[in-house]
Amino acid sequence: MVDIEALKENFLNQEIDSKEFVLDAEKMVTAARASGETREIYLNPEHADFQATPAILCSLASGRHLPIDFPKLGGIPMDGGKAVECLAPVRAGVPLTGRTHLHDIYDKKGRSGRMILIVVRLELFDADNTHLATTDSRLVIRENNN
Amino acid sequence: MSIDTIADVEFGAELPTFTPDTSLTEVSKFAHAVGWGGARFEDHDAAREQGLPGALVPGIMGMGFLTSTIHQWSDNAVIEHIDTVFRAPMIADEPCQIGAVVTDIDEDTGLVELDMTLKNAADETRVFGTARVRLPV
Repeated sequence: MVDIEALKENFLNQEIDSKEFVLDAEKMVTAARASGETREIYLNPEHADFQATPAILCSLASGRHLPIDFPKLGGIPMDGGKAVECLAPVRAGVPLTGRTHLHDIYDKKGRSGRMILIVVRLELFDADNTHLATTDSRLVIRENNN
Repeated sequence: MSIDTIADVEFGAELPTFTPDTSLTEVSKFAHAVGWGGARFEDHDAAREQGLPGALVPGIMGMGFLTSTIHQWSDNAVIEHIDTVFRAPMIADEPCQIGAVVTDIDEDTGLVELDMTLKNAADETRVFGTARVRLPV
């Protein structure tokens, strides 16, 4: 059985990836409209406050979810959920940088065994290094004890 | 009743329900727009060949449905934080409904906490979550 505390000690809060993004206005509108969005600030690129919806921010993923030396725990990680903290509007057509680290590792035990949950945190910054948003992706891995 | 300021919000109040368009056409548009195109989001038969119950609605599209519900409830609501748990797959072309309830109000800061659920036609929860929203004081 994997030692969760050892994983936390070895892997939390170390940057594992940095990736550049530029959001496309047309795609932002398409995704917002398909989600049922009604506000002009998400649907009209000409609006002075045009910005990305929280869900679009959660689509920005690093090229790497886990550190290269992270141990194999079992099956393929499943997407257990997403969270986003919106700190400032995220605009189309401007350079963005997403820096990723592991924020938390914990487990849940059930009748079918233990699940390991890994929170992968991406912090999004603009070119002035202003922190715009933080997104969390919860990876769920069923532990393989064989 | 329109929700313009924090004074308009009542503890325990339910937000108007929202029935989003989960058609394969809209799911496919969303998936492509966020760079997640592929059979699992665009083609029921191809998704079943991958062992899935049908073409999936991306989890973050479910989050988009939740945020749209909040924005339809109040033009002035600003979402500061939203956290969603993908409890079970959502299938494209299957109807679903969003519900939300006010669980906390801070009249000094204008912050409102919401519990939110996305349920399918069988009343099974597929996505649930919480949101922290700011309204004018």
